[in-house]
Amino acid sequence: MDWINIIQNTCKALTGVDAAYFALAAIGLNVQFGYTGLLNFGQAAFMACGAYGIGMTSKYFGIGMWWGIPIGMGFVIVLALLVGIPTLRLRADYLAIVTIALAEMVRLIVRSVRFKQYFGGSDGINGFSLQFRELSPFDPGVQYGIKPFQYSGYTVWTLLVGWALVAIFATLVYMLMRSPWGRVIKAIREDEDAVRSLGKSVYSYKMQSLIIGGLIGMFSGVIFALDRGSVQPDNYSRDVTFYILTALVLGGVAKVSGSIVGSMLFWGIFVFSDNFLRELTKDGPLKIFGVTVMQKIQVGAINYMLIGVGLMLLMTFRPQGIFGNRKEMALDAR
Amino acid sequence: MVVTGAGKRTYRIVRAFAVVAGSLVLFGSGANVASAEDGLSIIASVQNQTVDAGVSQKQPVAGVTITVTTPAGSIIGTGVTDVAGLISFPIPARDNYIVTLDTATLPNGFTMIDSAKAVSIVNKDDFTTTVKRATFFTGSSNTSSQTLFNRMIQRGADGLRLGLVIAMCAVGLSLIFGTTGLTNFAHGEMVTFGGLMAFLLNVTMGIPLLISAPVVVALGGLFGLALNVFIFGKLRRRGVGLISQLVVSVGLSIVLRNMYLYQFGGRTKPLNDYSQQTVMRLGPTSITPRDLTTAILSLLVLVAVALFIQKSRTGKAIRAVSDNPTLASSTGIDTQRIIRIVWFAGGALAALGGIFRGLDEQVGFEMGSRLVFLMFAAITLGGLGSAFGALVGGVLVGVFVEMASLVVPSELKNVPALLILIIVLVVRPQGILGRKQRVG
Repeated sequence: MDWINIIQNTCKALTGVDAAYFALAAIGLNVQFGYTGLLNFGQAAFMACGAYGIGMTSKYFGIGMWWGIPIGMGFVIVLALLVGIPTLRLRADYLAIVTIALAEMVRLIVRSVRFKQYFGGSDGINGFSLQFRELSPFDPGVQYGIKPFQYSGYTVWTLLVGWALVAIFATLVYMLMRSPWGRVIKAIREDEDAVRSLGKSVYSYKMQSLIIGGLIGMFSGVIFALDRGSVQPDNYSRDVTFYILTALVLGGVAKVSGSIVGSMLFWGIFVFSDNFLRELTKDGPLKIFGVTVMQKIQVGAINYMLIGVGLMLLMTFRPQGIFGNRKEMALDAR
Repeated sequence: MVVTGAGKRTYRIVRAFAVVAGSLVLFGSGANVASAEDGLSIIASVQNQTVDAGVSQKQPVAGVTITVTTPAGSIIGTGVTDVAGLISFPIPARDNYIVTLDTATLPNGFTMIDSAKAVSIVNKDDFTTTVKRATFFTGSSNTSSQTLFNRMIQRGADGLRLGLVIAMCAVGLSLIFGTTGLTNFAHGEMVTFGGLMAFLLNVTMGIPLLISAPVVVALGGLFGLALNVFIFGKLRRRGVGLISQLVVSVGLSIVLRNMYLYQFGGRTKPLNDYSQQTVMRLGPTSITPRDLTTAILSLLVLVAVALFIQKSRTGKAIRAVSDNPTLASSTGIDTQRIIRIVWFAGGALAALGGIFRGLDEQVGFEMGSRLVFLMFAAITLGGLGSAFGALVGGVLVGVFVEMASLVVPSELKNVPALLILIIVLVVRPQGILGRKQRVG
């Protein structure tokens, strides 16, 4: 058992790019789910908007990569209106059903052969992040930082941009939720009818919340795509939204710091258990009393099972998460 | 309501998980195929596709040279397909590969459907298991020679078949929603449960499907019951809200799906019985005897369910609880018993749907979760909580999805189902058969 390696990888994961892009997506989801009470199960689709936005513009349209961000924002707004207009007047679970369907549809469309010339089919889009890499002030050949928090030059650059975006959006959401707008949003979560009776347009506020959360999620997709240097349709499957939701609930719903801490913890735990289980099965299948319980290729499935169990237990016993406030978890007021 | 200590509660939930997990370990015995392959490999498969009146049939093509190279061009392996049209290449790592078919080695009279498809690119992210299949199709499809009318009839018939299965699976989803208010995102996994159990009994244990199917349906019912008794019933008693229960069901679906993956592996596999079928003509459409039988059986089951809900005492009680649980319970209906019946029936119907899906396509760990979205479209179209709505909605969604594949590529045929959802929610949010009440 190589404990040093496991601990090193776990520490790296706590502040890694994965945690950063999860944190961004979770901040967005928190605006919708935590503050407004909207069950958006299609955050992965909004992330795909950002990723495909930058991928498509630089690869196919020949205009600069940065144009991908406004284009991605356009995608997000179109999708949010598409799912929001029919469902935001209805009960909360309709939005869940439609957004989960939307995420699946977006994935099917971008990986289809029919639209391969735009989205690259199941191969996705590769090799577009040069413009971003060139901006990096760090030497890609050098390892920066102190052990165990050590990353290569390009990763440090992505991390810097990623966590800077996390900081910006966290501050933004923090201030937004203390503004009159945020108070209306939280009031909608608590009692929609009361807000309506005060003459506010609940529908319009919910739509704004859905779009703002989606736009923040879009930046998560941008960071993810820039880090990998590629866009793959299957990275935006509907389960991604559920993992982000797990991270969010873990950290604490309706708390800005919750989304960040939750994402870091989520990846810390995930990488730890992944590395640990892989070490266990490194020299052949793990046996307990002579019965094979785990093979190397089953490690992934077990890890995801743990995520699911974690989500169920958290939702049952501590829906406010580790740092959340139970009073802020009034999702079932309606 | 019984108030228990936190520790005891934790113990109960943990025990609940243990029971569910234990019931699933059942098919760890022999179905654990994933363990058979140690090394990574790419399996290339060459199939000759002939389309006869809208039904495609495939025959393996032997003696075709296949080459696997890295993107840089260095050769990993070359070989000739066997009688099953297969050739396996061991590969060093999960990486990107290019699989090329040498069209010059195709037997006389065989051509690639699309000459560009003689090259298949295997992406390193495609390896969901250690084995990745690359399939090549030869032969020309003569779908275009059929008249649009004939194709419409054929698609309509296929859609009806799909729709009946969707309806069967969706009835339980709708009834559970009606009686408990839970939007159960794990319902697709109940369908998969049926398919995988059928695989366990039929393939692993070799019990004929006619005998094993009723056992699987009973097990599916017990599985549904177990989910209610050990998870959702407990949540209701704890006073956990509906939205939280919904999120719990999402977690449950992740757990179950990965348990299936763990035990069954990532590949899809056919059931033993009735896998070889000859197409027969039925009026303007062609159908295999198996598909005809499952369609008729589905129809009979659905009629029986409808009669049960409409006529029987229990059925009336179910409708009463869906309508107003408090009022129903004050008139002496044991709502908890009704809820248990609904979960049992929902699980049994989903399992039967899983068997039929497994016969029609193949059994795989994701077979149900692919269907769950169509099930939601069906019950939204029919009206959330209404059993008859689920029947009507299921059939309509099935037909619509299959018909849509006349216009859109079949890989995208589920996309128009999203349009149904959106249009229904704009025009008539309560669905076709839903009650005219406020759903906002």
